[in-house]
Amino acid sequence: MDIIVCIKQVPDTTTVIQIDPSGKDIVRDGITYIVSPYDEFAIEEALKLKEAGDGTVTVLTVGPESAKEALRTGLAMGADEAIHVVYEGAPSQLDSLTTAKLIAKALEGKKYDLVFCGRQAIDDDALQIGSLVAEFLNVPQISLVIKLEINGEQIKASRTIEGGTQVVESRLPALITAQKGLNEPRYPSMKGILKARKKEITELKAAELGVDLTPRVVLEELRLPPARPAGKIVGSVAELVKALHEEIKVI
Amino acid sequence: MGFDFAYTDEQKMVQESITRMLKRHEDKHVSWRQDIYKHHNFPDALWQAFAETGIMGSFLPEAYGGSDMGLMPLLLALETLSAHGFASVHAVVTAMDALCLLKHGSEELKQRILPKVATGEMRLGYAHTEPDAGSNVFNTATFAKREGDHYVVNGQKVFISGVDSTQKLLLVTRTTSLEDAIAQGNRTYGLTLMLVDCDSPGLEKQFLPLQGLEGIKQWAIFFENMKVPVENVVGTENGGAQIIFDSLNSERILAAGIATGMVDFLLDRSTRYARERKVFGNRAIGSYQAIAHPLAETKIEQEAARLLTYRAAWAFDKGLPPAEVGHFANLAKFKAADVAIKAADHAIETHGGYGFSEEYEVIYYWNTARLFKTAPITREMILNFISEHSLKLPRSY
Ligand SMILES: Cc1cc2nc3c(=O)[nH]c(=O)nc-3n(C[C@H](O)[C@H](O)[C@H](O)COP(=O)(O)OP(=O)(O)OC[C@H]3O[C@@H](n4cnc5c(N)ncnc54)[C@H](O)[C@@H]3O)c2cc1C
Repeated sequence: MDIIVCIKQVPDTTTVIQIDPSGKDIVRDGITYIVSPYDEFAIEEALKLKEAGDGTVTVLTVGPESAKEALRTGLAMGADEAIHVVYEGAPSQLDSLTTAKLIAKALEGKKYDLVFCGRQAIDDDALQIGSLVAEFLNVPQISLVIKLEINGEQIKASRTIEGGTQVVESRLPALITAQKGLNEPRYPSMKGILKARKKEITELKAAELGVDLTPRVVLEELRLPPARPAGKIVGSVAELVKALHEEIKVI
Repeated sequence: MGFDFAYTDEQKMVQESITRMLKRHEDKHVSWRQDIYKHHNFPDALWQAFAETGIMGSFLPEAYGGSDMGLMPLLLALETLSAHGFASVHAVVTAMDALCLLKHGSEELKQRILPKVATGEMRLGYAHTEPDAGSNVFNTATFAKREGDHYVVNGQKVFISGVDSTQKLLLVTRTTSLEDAIAQGNRTYGLTLMLVDCDSPGLEKQFLPLQGLEGIKQWAIFFENMKVPVENVVGTENGGAQIIFDSLNSERILAAGIATGMVDFLLDRSTRYARERKVFGNRAIGSYQAIAHPLAETKIEQEAARLLTYRAAWAFDKGLPPAEVGHFANLAKFKAADVAIKAADHAIETHGGYGFSEEYEVIYYWNTARLFKTAPITREMILNFISEHSLKLPRSY
């Protein structure tokens, strides 16, 4: 089975985010980047499927030059190939629709049975790529998958829904978005890192793929959440109840 | 290209691999540290997880199950581990022995040992120090007498780490007595290295309650007619001195990395506490320069030590002559030990009385930081080396 995994490089979850003077981007100096955690579940699941049978896993990303690092991580985890759609514009100008079109374009002519995405990238939380890419590729999408079984062409997937699990079936080719709980992603082993050194990354230029890069949704402004007001320590339960009733008015 | 101080993608991946491995076990960190610093054990689960990343093979060729990346990845990994409060002496000594084997061991020995090192299945110790031979290895008295296809070893070693938690020791012996060597006009002649099983008949160990190198225990060992097969000799008979000096460089570099990593841990604890602790009014103590400046100085010195350490590892990986690597390895170990002591001191200072409470953990690092000043080589011997070899001053002893 040949599998594509769409991944995104995002700031590390422990990064202290600051907004740059333009108001449209975060300060990128000194940030450490990681592969978005949901994408790691996606990579892991793809690798497991490959290892259980045969085929290839290709990691794909749309992003700046520095996003190659994310692809290298994917390769070091065990992916066979990597495709980098190099996007050189400002991150604020790249909306989900354009990204999805670029992904679909990059996959034109490529053989695949399954496409994985993370349920969302943890930086902009747009939650759109899976659906959009499935639409452009004209394949069914199963989102928020926490368990996946594939038998021949048949897919059986468990999804998280409010308060429970839903089991659905579909057929290959399809697009799956990975949810936490799907698996425990491996970390790159030293041998994997060594092998990644020897693997080529296929480079495509976003500007040369014939996709209109004009954003339909433009990022206008980023704001940090308001600072949390100082907490208050109450002396007794009675005082707590009084405060909840009179000050915060929740009871 | 001349200088490039950026981590490569590959190096970042190594750091990330170790960080993620540790994150996955975050709930066990406190108990692991207690295991290491209170009970002198290295937790099996931590070793397992560490080895599973493949890091113990990172410095070995692919032919022995390694990934052929040089010493730098292990250095970065140990630094990262130490930044989370876990010093792995086992990794340091095992790597040093394995690198020594790689360079000087027979093919048969390499095939027998190195693949097991690469998977983490085999750990190694190093037995050099004797009651009368610490800084002066030429005083080694443990004697190996050749009898047919094996040696018969008699003697004693002291302060040997991990005799209970490693499978084999790289043992420093004499095969020609010091008197005979001097009579032949070459006092460095006559040392021989051999690999011995920790449970060899004729090897007795006695526990030594030492503090300082944590997560590993120290032992005195006694050899009484211990038989060692000839094929376990590493390098040539009587030619051990050069091999020893050559091999100890990697140990110093890795020890320096553990020390600079420990500074990260201590600074993290110190700054966290200094941001929160209020003593007079509503100001955190971190706003007092008396608290902040020593921490800032520690940071500066740590970066200096780290650069020296990376430079030493770089020289090692470039395959520069051992004396040249030794120069940087010694500078790195010296500086890193000093800054680790400083960091531990300031961490305790910042925490006031809580600095001595096990709950805040910083006190654990006091002995360890201090140990690096004395072992694997003392500060004085480093100064001797630099004076004599780097500054070309006359030898003082
Ligand atoms: C916790 C711990 C673990 C250890 N683990 C191991 C191990 O696994 N394997 C192993 O082989 N060894 C091990 N050692 C031993 C360690 O390497 C030695 O203790 C160290 O090399 C110093 O040797 P020594 O103790 O004999 O000191 P000595 O050589 O007796 O030195 C005593 C003092 O005199 C100074 N001195 C000596 N000669 C000179 C000189 N010419 N000029 C100036 N000053 C001088 C020294 O610097 C030192 O301060 C360990 C030690 C400790 C404390």
